[in-house]
Amino acid sequence: MQRIGKNQLSILIILFLIGSTPLFELGIEAKQDAWIAMTLAAAAGLLLTAMYLRIQRRAPEAGLAELYMMHFGKWLGGAVGLIHMLWFAYESMRNVRDVGELTMIALLPLTPKWIVMLLILAVAAYTVSKGLEVFVRVIQLLMPVAVLSYMVIVLLLLVARLPDISQLKPVLENGLAPVLKAAFPDLLSFPFGQMVIMLVFWKHVAEKNTIGRASYWSQAGVSLFLILMNMLTLCVLGPEVSSLSALPLLEAVQLIRLANFLERLDVIVTLLLFIGLYVKMTALYMASALTLSAVTGIAYRNWVMPIGAAIYASSFLEPNNTYHIWIGLDITLKIVPLFQIVLPVLMLAVGLRKKYKAARPAA
Amino acid sequence: MNKQNAEAHTPLSPSLQANVQAIRSRFGESSDVVIRVFRSDAAPGRRLAIAYVDGIVDAETINRSVMEPLMSLQLPEYVIEKGARLLEALRGCVVSVGSMRDIHTLDEALQYMADGLCVIMADGSAAALTADVNGGEERSVGIAQTQTVIRGPQYGFVESLRTNISLIRRVIRSSSLHVQIHKVGKQTHTNVAVLYVHGIVDEGILKEVYRRLAAIDIDGILESGYIEEFIQDETFTLFPTLLNTERPDTVAAALLEGRVAIIVDGTPIALMAPTTFFSFFQSPEDFYQRYDIATFIRVIRYVAYVVSMLLPALYIAVTTYHQEMLPTTLLISLAAQREGIPFPGLVEALLMEMTFEVLREAGLRMPRAIGPAISIVGALVLGQSAVQAGIVSAGMVIVVSFTAISNFVMPEFNMAATSRIIRFGFMLMAGMLGFFGIFVSGLFMLIHLASLRSFGVPYMSPLAPGGAAQGLFRDMFIRMPWWAIVMRPLDMKMRNPKRRPNKKKPPAQRHSGKP
Repeated sequence: MQRIGKNQLSILIILFLIGSTPLFELGIEAKQDAWIAMTLAAAAGLLLTAMYLRIQRRAPEAGLAELYMMHFGKWLGGAVGLIHMLWFAYESMRNVRDVGELTMIALLPLTPKWIVMLLILAVAAYTVSKGLEVFVRVIQLLMPVAVLSYMVIVLLLLVARLPDISQLKPVLENGLAPVLKAAFPDLLSFPFGQMVIMLVFWKHVAEKNTIGRASYWSQAGVSLFLILMNMLTLCVLGPEVSSLSALPLLEAVQLIRLANFLERLDVIVTLLLFIGLYVKMTALYMASALTLSAVTGIAYRNWVMPIGAAIYASSFLEPNNTYHIWIGLDITLKIVPLFQIVLPVLMLAVGLRKKYKAARPAA
Repeated sequence: MNKQNAEAHTPLSPSLQANVQAIRSRFGESSDVVIRVFRSDAAPGRRLAIAYVDGIVDAETINRSVMEPLMSLQLPEYVIEKGARLLEALRGCVVSVGSMRDIHTLDEALQYMADGLCVIMADGSAAALTADVNGGEERSVGIAQTQTVIRGPQYGFVESLRTNISLIRRVIRSSSLHVQIHKVGKQTHTNVAVLYVHGIVDEGILKEVYRRLAAIDIDGILESGYIEEFIQDETFTLFPTLLNTERPDTVAAALLEGRVAIIVDGTPIALMAPTTFFSFFQSPEDFYQRYDIATFIRVIRYVAYVVSMLLPALYIAVTTYHQEMLPTTLLISLAAQREGIPFPGLVEALLMEMTFEVLREAGLRMPRAIGPAISIVGALVLGQSAVQAGIVSAGMVIVVSFTAISNFVMPEFNMAATSRIIRFGFMLMAGMLGFFGIFVSGLFMLIHLASLRSFGVPYMSPLAPGGAAQGLFRDMFIRMPWWAIVMRPLDMKMRNPKRRPNKKKPPAQRHSGKP
């Protein structure tokens, strides 16, 4: 079995959670309090992670499918695993589609989407076929690029004196209710609740006793980062423009004008979004293949192509971007809690009654 | 294999005449085979013979250390009578050559002769002696031609394996420098030496090197490139997974880092494994110059590598798809240049790149005397005239020239060549899909790089998988001062991973300025 280190796990969590998140100004329903909503959701996200870790600790060598089968029995658990695997593939498809839409908006308005999505999915499939170890190494290589680019963006935004802290006022104008409404369940489900995917990857970490610490710290760090970026965009654009814009971060960066030279930094943002989307898409794709392989017992590599083909085909089902975003932010987020909260809670509850031996072999 | 074994067991005959005949006929009556049969007064009735191949032996040594003592032979009586001990006595008290060996078969004799040894035979004994009188013409140790440094040792390897090993021995003066020589090639019987420092090297990797060397089955090895292609991990990659060098100090440094060096007889180019991506960006000079200079130059090198890989692609992408990225004045000037150009950016760039690659290869192959012609053709005719004729834009010429120059910054030629090839892929993708094409192909390359291994060591280490905790970054993008580089750089289980006990600067006497 492929093994990854604890630093690699941290970096995986960080880039996975960043993913496509900066694409949207999340929690904007709470207007200038979006960042408070983010904070609440992030805190709840850590609680979810604590729950996932609790489940995972019962059988450190078991992946998501094995855990389902352990808790719900072979058939029911297998069925649930299959449904979850389909969900992973679906979410991966959403990212593929995001790349297609983003490229059309930001880079290549005339190029057909099918070729853009085919290429990015080919890259993802290539990664998945190489396995988890190679994937985390790629993430390690992308990490410095991402960190540097974010630093440049933040620095330039600050140097250009674009952020205006008063955009965040008045704090809690309409009380806590709209903030809570924005935070739960939508913000919790995306991005923080997506940590559920780590149930697939945790078993590959070599040093099992470090999983908890690495996961908490990296999730807390990345949550803080996302909240700050959220605040920054709000400060630059203000709640009204943020809520109208298709790509708020891109819009904010386009405002940078320095020394008659640094003007068009969209490329950096687009690059960042691509990196995030690629990581997320590939992680979900890989989780899907790993889970399916664990449920069916058929070797992982045989599933790479079929799942990829399914993802590619399904990415054409939505007719346009508006529809895509509507499904993503309204429909999908209503179903997600089933996978992120209901099923894990069920597992936790079932597990409390069963007595687990310390290290039960996987399925 | 069986056939070879059978041949190898043809024994030497007790008759000197028969042996001489056999050697002559097996060498096909070659005229450079010298067999000298002679008598010595001290051993009446017993003829002696020496056989060697002219030109690959040192005639002086043969005359002084073999012929002369044999001719003036004065042996005790009992030796002459009991024939079998004659050779033993010759070895013991007559022939004054360092390395001698007993042989019993004809094929051994032939092989040693072909190797440049001298075979001594005596009438009435079915054995022979070999004396190491290796010699012949060879290039003397000179200045390294392809990997030059300003500060640091200047000499380079030569074609003789023996000399090359001695050059390394002179750097690492320790018994823990081990040398194992293998013969590879059914016809050439090329000596391939494996060098490592015992106690530092990872035994697993060493075994793997031996295993891969032993698996080579080919008639001839003419250069270390043959070996490289046989033992590299992945054939279908553009990235080299073995380092090569013609500098003894580079090999010595690699040995001290726990690598294994492979030196092939007949070529000044040595191989080193395992290798990581980042070691191709290290020139030996990085470690001789002050660390701040070295770091600056190394960063320049990484930048230049990216430039040489991506610049034409970026230019194509920007001019074709993302014009809005450029500052307005630059955009206008570029657009004005491109106004009369009949080709799209991609075609223009491909044309110029191909032209440059042709020029470059021509410059390498053409006779030296007409060298200046190439610069005239290249600079004036193809550069200036092409712009004046409106075939390519001046901007494109600048881009292609800078790309070309950037490529020469790389200390390792094979890694530089990689970027030359990959550049075309990036250009095509940029021409079709702009920045998205560059992003996708770049990602594809990263995934490929992350999946490569060199003798089990991940190619992108110590960046991925990371070695930050062990302080392996201290000699990657930057070079820290020597005293701060505690660990050897490779990501593998070494017996002795530390070069220094700790990260402490040796104390220096501080002068306060007061008397």
